Formats: sequence, structure tokens, C-alpha cells
Amino acid sequence: MSYWKEFIKGVWEHNPQLVVGLGFCPTLAITTSLSNALWMTLSTAFVLVCSNVLISLIRGIAHSHLRIPLYITIIATFVTIVDLSLNAYQPAVYRSLGIFIPLIVVNCITLGRAEEFAQKNSVIRSLLDGAGMGLGFGLTLIVLSFFREVLGANQLFGYTLIRGMEPAAVMILAPGAFFTLGLMLWAMNTINSRRRSK
Amino acid sequence: MIRDIVKPTLTLAAVAFICTLLLSYVQKFTEPAIKRQKGENQDEALKLVLPGFSVGDAQKISMAGVEFLFWIGKKKVDYKTVKGYAFITAGAGYGGNIESMVGVDESGKILGVSILNQSETPGLGARCVEVANRETLWDYIKNGMPARDYNKERRIPWFQNQFEGIDANAEVRITRRGVWNPEMRPQLLETNAISALTGATITTAAVVQSIRLGMTTLKKALSMRLPDTDGGAQ
Repeated sequence: MSYWKEFIKGVWEHNPQLVVGLGFCPTLAITTSLSNALWMTLSTAFVLVCSNVLISLIRGIAHSHLRIPLYITIIATFVTIVDLSLNAYQPAVYRSLGIFIPLIVVNCITLGRAEEFAQKNSVIRSLLDGAGMGLGFGLTLIVLSFFREVLGANQLFGYTLIRGMEPAAVMILAPGAFFTLGLMLWAMNTINSRRRSK
Repeated sequence: MIRDIVKPTLTLAAVAFICTLLLSYVQKFTEPAIKRQKGENQDEALKLVLPGFSVGDAQKISMAGVEFLFWIGKKKVDYKTVKGYAFITAGAGYGGNIESMVGVDESGKILGVSILNQSETPGLGARCVEVANRETLWDYIKNGMPARDYNKERRIPWFQNQFEGIDANAEVRITRRGVWNPEMRPQLLETNAISALTGATITTAAVVQSIRLGMTTLKKALSMRLPDTDGGAQ
């Protein structure tokens, strides 16, 4: 597989949420605003790339029964770095994302990519895989949060869109996340099955 | 034996050691900024909850093993000195403790509430720190972004703003009126009520509950101090 394909597969073919079905927890929870989604994307992508690279580097010394504790230690380290940095330099974002930054540790995507990919592949491929998966994860977040913020809060990046309009609050609540995600899954599957049948 | 137990143990210990070392450096590096943030937050919050008061140093009192932090402020109104009190209180919200600073006057009327820390659900409970925007995105595109001067124009989140004037000694009622705006104030004040955050009643109740708790503690703290000391019981 070419390096480009290794990178780009995370965006569509192996999109973490829409195809593989991982990482639904932050996807549903923090997509209430576009800025949340962007910062979550950056944080998760950073953790994914760093942990993938490091895990790929130590894949020789990781015993089979030692894998999970090792991976979790490494992932938690990078998440803590993100957590402390956001707290120090982006306090507003840190306050807004709250518990979901520490929860990247248990995000299935990071551990999933470590198990699935980084422990079997070279450093460069793991890096590209992490970056691509981060991008794919982020794009899903961005599309989802765009619709939820516009319809559910009548806002974009925190700025009101139409003065005096009462937004559909259900979109900002949990059901809105499920509706939108469901529609995205449906659209994705429809496009894919059309492409396949051609 | 060595292969199965000693070697993995050593590997794991080594990795954990390196990670901890790295993190200790990151923590050392970010700590001053985090501390400064916290200090700035506290100073700003004090100005917000005791507007116009000259505030003394923080006072610490241990109440049933829990530290209670409060401030006494003074302000001259019509040649008379009135006192105001600020305290930090916390209540259990949906995603952890919600820590806020509350300012009250001598009669227990709330002068201001400022939420210092919260980890509520984004878009729901976290809206307790949301600032309501009057301009639309199109206004910004047309007129350009205004140069924001945070010191001149204090942008208070609407949820916190509505506590102003509420009597903290009486029961604070929670109503469902949607996003609060200044026009709603007289009507809500009549019943000593606030408007809940949509979909986040737990957050709203936690803040109200924490104010009640803080108020009780403040009264105890003030009565514990000697009457002749500065700012003691009235």
C-alpha cells in the first residue's frame, strides 16, 4: 500500500466512526459546537500520532501479555500532556471540553490503532495511519458539530446566525447527536453501496 | 521464570519511569501558567461578584474539615460604609464539582455569581459559562470583528448574571424560562427565581444548592470571628 493510501484511508474507507464504528463517545458528546470539535480533533490527532509512533518504535520489546498496560501508559502520558497544555494555554477550551480531554485515554480509536496497526507496522506507516485516522475522526466531528451548532444553537463558532430565531434545542441535546450521526451513517453507506455496485 | 515475570516487569517499570519523568517536566513547565490562570480567575471573579468594593485579603476557615475561603469587602455609599462578602463554594453537578464564587451584601442579597470551575456536558450544563451574543455572525462579517476590550466591557454569562439581586437567605426557585435576558429580571426577582439551563437541571440545581450551602457556612464563619475584629459580625 502506498504511503498516500495509508494516510487517506482514515478519511473515508476506514473512517474511525462511520466505518469502523469506534470513538462514538466523544463524537456524540462534544459535537455541540464547531470550536469544541476542532480542539478535540487537534487533541486526539496529536495523541494518535504520538502514541502510534512510539508504540511502533517499541513493538520489538512489547510482550504479548504486556501490550495493553504498555499502550495505556503511553497513551495516558500523551493525553496528560494535552490536558496540561490546554489547561495552561487555552483555559477556555479546557473548560469547555472538560472531562472529554482526559477521556481520550479510553477512546477506542487510540488503543484500536495501537493494537490494529502500530504494533505490526513501521514507524512511518504508523505515523501516517495516526494522522489519517485523526483527520477522519476530526472530519466526522466537524460535519456533525456544524449541523448541530447551526440547527441546535442558531450559532456558528459561538456567533449567532439569525437574530431572534429560537433554535431547535433537540439538536444540541443527546438525541440530536444520534439523529445526525444516523443520517451521516446512512449517507455514507448509500454512497459506498452505489460505488460498489457500479 | 525470568522471561515471563522479571523481564516484562522491568520493561513496564522502565516505560512507566520514562513517562513519569517526561510528565513531571511538562507539569513543571505548565504549572506557572496554570497557577496564573487560576489567580487571574480569582481576582477577576472578585471584581465581578463585589463590584466597586475594596476587598481585603482572603480568609480561610476550616469547617468540619473542609476549607472555606471568603473575603470581606467595603464600599462607601452615601458617606456610610457598607460591607460585602464573597465566598467560594462548590456543589456536585452532572460531571463533577461546580466551583463558584458568590458575592452578597449584608442582607444576603446576591451581588454577583461567577463560576470558577466546572466540567459539565458541553452544550448543556457547560452553558452556565456561555456568554450570550447580541450580534449575529453576519454583523461581524459586515462590520468586522470588534476589538474586544475585556476590561471595559465585561461580558457576563447570562446564567450567572441572573443571580444578581436574588436573596440568598431565602429559597431560590428554579423555573424553566429558557435563555435569560435582562427583561426577565423584574418578574423573576418577584418570586426569587432563576431560569434553568435547558436540559441541564442538575447543573442549575447544583449551583443553587452550593449558594445555599456557602451562605450557611459564611454566616457560621462570620459569627465565629470576634465582634471587635475587622469586619466581624454586625
